Amino acid sequence: MKARRIVASVFRHLFLAIMAGIWLIPILWLFVTSFSTDPGIRTTRFFPEHWTLANYSKLLLHPDTVANFPAWFKNSMIIGVISCIISSAFVLMVSYAFSCMRFPSRKRLMSFSIILGMFPGVLSMIAVYFILKMFNLTDSLAGLIVVYSAGSGLGFLICKGFFDTIPASLRESAKIEGASEFTVFTRIVIPLSKPMIVYTVINSFLAPWMDFVMAKLLIRSKDPADWTVAIGLYNILQKTLIGQYFSVFCAGGIVVAVPISILFIIMQKFYVEGITGGAVKG
Amino acid sequence: MKKKLVAVLLTAAMAVSLAACGKTTEKQPEVAPEQGTEQTTEEKTGDTEVVINQGSDDAIANLIAATEGTVDLTLWCSEMESYQNTMKELVDEFKNTYSDVDFNITIGAQSESTCKDEVLKDVEAAADVFVFADDQLNELVQAGALQAVTTTYTFDPLAANGAGAVNAASLNGTCYAYPLTASNGYFLIYDKSLLTDEDVASWENLVAACEAQGKKCGFDFGNGWYTYGFFSGAGCTATLAEDGVNNVCDWNNETGVAVAESLVKICSSDAVISIGDADARAQAKDGDLIAYVDGTWSIEDFQAAYGDNLACVKLPTFEVNGVATQEGSFAGYKLVGVNAYSKNVGWAMLLAEFITNEEAQMKIGANTQEGPSNINAAASISSPALSALGAQSAFADLQRVGGNYWTPAGTLGQTLYTGTDDVKAALDDAVAGITAAAE
Repeated sequence: MKARRIVASVFRHLFLAIMAGIWLIPILWLFVTSFSTDPGIRTTRFFPEHWTLANYSKLLLHPDTVANFPAWFKNSMIIGVISCIISSAFVLMVSYAFSCMRFPSRKRLMSFSIILGMFPGVLSMIAVYFILKMFNLTDSLAGLIVVYSAGSGLGFLICKGFFDTIPASLRESAKIEGASEFTVFTRIVIPLSKPMIVYTVINSFLAPWMDFVMAKLLIRSKDPADWTVAIGLYNILQKTLIGQYFSVFCAGGIVVAVPISILFIIMQKFYVEGITGGAVKG
Repeated sequence: MKKKLVAVLLTAAMAVSLAACGKTTEKQPEVAPEQGTEQTTEEKTGDTEVVINQGSDDAIANLIAATEGTVDLTLWCSEMESYQNTMKELVDEFKNTYSDVDFNITIGAQSESTCKDEVLKDVEAAADVFVFADDQLNELVQAGALQAVTTTYTFDPLAANGAGAVNAASLNGTCYAYPLTASNGYFLIYDKSLLTDEDVASWENLVAACEAQGKKCGFDFGNGWYTYGFFSGAGCTATLAEDGVNNVCDWNNETGVAVAESLVKICSSDAVISIGDADARAQAKDGDLIAYVDGTWSIEDFQAAYGDNLACVKLPTFEVNGVATQEGSFAGYKLVGVNAYSKNVGWAMLLAEFITNEEAQMKIGANTQEGPSNINAAASISSPALSALGAQSAFADLQRVGGNYWTPAGTLGQTLYTGTDDVKAALDDAVAGITAAAE
């Protein structure tokens, strides 16, 4: 009986290991190719013949007219961080309002925003372009930040669900002590919602950090210093450049993952922390 | 009450979106340089007669006098580093030449092959001066994006450039762009230590030589750009219909069938492979691929693979009904266009002239692998690739096919490569697709 369980477990894990291996192959290939001395694509072999760090130094220290990675990274970082702050604030505030406050048409507004949120943003792309052009915001980081953060309040649903689980008695007791809505929000609800905030922050950073479509639409400048990481890396894949820059592209793909990983590692520990356990006494 | 609120919100949202659509700024393109009529050059190019008035020196003086403040110009050219650096040098020279004027010239990286799409996305926001491939001329002109070159300041592009380039830059008797290069074509790149002149003279010999050595040769059958050469070489046509949008194509006639059968026969050998640019470079480096049909843009990579043994030659012949027939090709040009919506049309035209004049073309030819379209510049620059292109140019056609050409032609190439029993059916399908009415 015990032997059968062990065998079953071995097979299960073997299966999972193989699946995980298959899933990791492309990433592994990207990783090893980023160390290749050969600048172009080598489809005839998986691991590079000779290993080097030159691609990373070219990418980070010696930008040229084709690959100006430091500038792209800076642009993406500015957009990512500012949009992240704005949209996290929007999401949390909208969620608080819908979850904790009572006002006329609350339900209606909520369903209306959910329906509005169901339309894919790309549908309005052309309208967004011309509206921003009227305000002279195309070709600017500010325009992209507006696009990424403006509608973010609509993603309140998950966060609102979380706020609903915070006992109303906590807020009520604060109110009895004379706290305003803002004090309740910042002193009671926010400190109790760390896991949710982590989720919101990671999400609202990832979307602008990785977005290609909106960035490509709004950044019309052909000066590589004005691009974001996504546009710049995409540009490297053109047939005239790929032969000289593919391994640099791979290095770029690896470096892009760094901020996301750091963000996740910092935020990760909050995931395991308890939420409201023991907050309400007696 | 609540229902009313929602209704009001919706109406407001609709009103805002409608207002956003309605407000487009109508702008008439300014007309550029002074219509100086000192010199008039006429040149017969193909079936159209193109005329350009050349302005006097006064025209430039007038332009400078009429300029106030900083002149903002944007220039889009190839994303390759060699191009970007060369253009930067040229722009600096331009600024020095007209040092009385304060310039703010931005150089952008935009592939010529997709320039049309980027320009037409928003013409007003596009560059003042941009480099594009000649096959995009029709659509750019139809969209009104190109400022017609009716007068020039410094030299006459019609006389300075080859007739083919001028023809490619003109439509219905009007010149719309300044020719820059004449090397957007393809030829055979091979390793001369392994293949003799005789081997590369015909596909049959080439395949036999590769088979004997256990090596490979080929091109990208999935790309209609290359497949075209076999059919055009045998006398079949695929080109734009008179409406300038749809295609006419007769590849499914008897000659076409013979061409297709010949191709199937060539491809039946394991030595022939169908691979794209990037794969080809890798295989050439590994020493497997010893002959490949490609263009000047990949010469550096093949140079790295073959070293001193790199050689270039016009495309091989192939047998049609037992007769050796020269493979044809597409020939293309890079042109410099001036945006009709530019705020500084005059300066934009002068800049376009400056980067396409003889000296500039010499510089570009020396720093990149490209061949100049300027007659004098072309005569003074030589490379194996450019000689091969020159030899091939006698068998090359201008690329004038509509958007519906590419997918069916690519599929046909793939079908012939994998082999089929019924080539006529494959050709019929391809022709039906190519000639289908464009939406």
